[in-house]
Amino acid sequence: MIMQSPHKDLYWPKPAEIREVIEENSQIKTFVLAFVDRQYNASFTYQPGQFMMVSVPHCGEAPISVSSTPMNAGAIHLSVRRAGGLTAALHDMKKGDVVGLRGPYGRPFPMASLTDRDLLFVAGGIGLAPLRSVINTCLATGHDRRITILYGSRTPSDIAFKKDLTTWGQTAKVSCLLTVDRSEPGWDGEVGLVTSLFEHCSLDPDETKALVCGPPMMIRAVLAELAHRGFADENIITTMERHMKCGVGICRHCHMDDKLVCKDGPVFTLEELKRLNVFELRG
Amino acid sequence: MTDKYVLKKDHLLPLLRKLKKNHRLIAPLQNRHGDTLFTEIDNLDNVRIDLENQPQNSLKQFFFPQQEVLFTYNNPARNSYHFEPVAEESGPALYFGVRSCDLSAILYMDVVFLKDVKDPNYLQKRQNSILVGLNCNTPFANCFCNATRNGPFLDFGFDLQLTDLGDRFLVEFDRSRGQEIISEWRQFFSRADDKDVKAQYQAFLEARGKFSLQVHLDLAARKLADDKVPESVWHELSMRCQDCGGCAYICPTCTCFTIRDQQTSDNEGERIRSWDACTFSGFTRMAGDHNPVDRQLRGIEQRFRHKLQFDVKKDNRPSCVGCGRCVNICFGGTDIVRFINMTCSENI
Repeated sequence: MIMQSPHKDLYWPKPAEIREVIEENSQIKTFVLAFVDRQYNASFTYQPGQFMMVSVPHCGEAPISVSSTPMNAGAIHLSVRRAGGLTAALHDMKKGDVVGLRGPYGRPFPMASLTDRDLLFVAGGIGLAPLRSVINTCLATGHDRRITILYGSRTPSDIAFKKDLTTWGQTAKVSCLLTVDRSEPGWDGEVGLVTSLFEHCSLDPDETKALVCGPPMMIRAVLAELAHRGFADENIITTMERHMKCGVGICRHCHMDDKLVCKDGPVFTLEELKRLNVFELRG
Repeated sequence: MTDKYVLKKDHLLPLLRKLKKNHRLIAPLQNRHGDTLFTEIDNLDNVRIDLENQPQNSLKQFFFPQQEVLFTYNNPARNSYHFEPVAEESGPALYFGVRSCDLSAILYMDVVFLKDVKDPNYLQKRQNSILVGLNCNTPFANCFCNATRNGPFLDFGFDLQLTDLGDRFLVEFDRSRGQEIISEWRQFFSRADDKDVKAQYQAFLEARGKFSLQVHLDLAARKLADDKVPESVWHELSMRCQDCGGCAYICPTCTCFTIRDQQTSDNEGERIRSWDACTFSGFTRMAGDHNPVDRQLRGIEQRFRHKLQFDVKKDNRPSCVGCGRCVNICFGGTDIVRFINMTCSENI
């Protein structure tokens, strides 16, 4: 006899079709997904900063943050860097292929607290993915304060989300500055760490929320720069990455002291992180 | 008049025979190698129920199997990916002779698997379970449930609970299912009188005095909370830990798990959940071999902080039940009692 408990779907993915694959750079692809169950797809929603558990046949599951805005209903964007077995298999998938999704999970960005503030987004590489969700949500909801976006990439050909960067660069009240670690022929923009872009913008630390996402080394450098500029810890928000298996707070792979990144995070303020023993802050 | 009952030892087997008609029966059995293990009983005639020795396993595997299939999947074409349920063992199961530590461990697992979200696999097994506890008259050599405050006698959490009074058991119930068993099989039970209740209290007092280990768990927990465990303790523990995972597997409250796909044919497979251990080096390793935690040094630290600091902070009690199994199994000498002793002997 097969017993179906009402909570049976806790670990069960739902099939989702790849509607489009956007090649962001040689390592990152954005998969535009829609649940095969159209009714479910129409009612599905999430908040910026949340993540999905993505199933790929024979590869298991991995947590991937949503890079699209929920304002654009019906299409879930997952931007994925080729990093391990599952992401490599995902990168080989094409339009029309089907993956499994469950979620959304995790504590999102505190969107309500961002509405009446200037916003500073600092990202490195794939770290722009979760912030892209916030930026496009703010723009879609008519955020009327200043937005500054600082984005660092390794080389000019590593710059991801080019279409968004162009759109943001052309939007009133948004200034979008790019830098690369290493230049290539044809690049006439900034060269240097993302922190070198700070000298090009004027920021009022008391009126600004800073959202930071990127590799640990970048996070440490940016946090130091923000502290130097007088940003209070509660006005600095970041999102953490950890190995996860369940996504719902049971398996404990994503422990960070007594917190679990999957349910207490992945979004944390610096004030919260400083109370924990966090690798990204220690170096 | 008390709400406690007496079950004569002569009546135990006949009662179990009756209960076995409607329940799967799991009890500590001594096998032909002399090992005592919680085992599902096929035939009561051919087994030796051992209530003298501590079962080497806890009940963890019956509620949270070492390996279980969450669902199967098939992927006949690139545009087709389906998930199917698997048949689960169902029907009520009666767990007999569960000591206070192992019963408390199930109450802890209830928090892990059912408090915030409901784990469907655990819930199903738990809903089908009847727990018949056994108070510990004689704690074993490495037991310290007096320090974890869930033994040697238990006040709540069981359906039925037995106390050995020599020729008879004193029987208490805490949940309606236990009461129902007494009502249904009333002929096996008689009302306990004051003499029986006093004998139980006497057994409790004697048991409490029989612990051979002195474990200062509260002091170690306070030192962890105050961040007063010296680095040298972690260094020594991590150096001596052999990374075998034995402590986590044998532990009735270690519930960390991993999930993976097991391919069974070209286009089919199973999603499998299995036990994991936070002391393993791969526990926090992410794609691309990036590991945010120095497992070599910090794996074992996570184990003790989780049990004695994080869970104390969250639920006001440690998630160690003092069963002593890790003390028995650890050949590196890095079990929880060693940790507590090392921490408390440091003059800080």
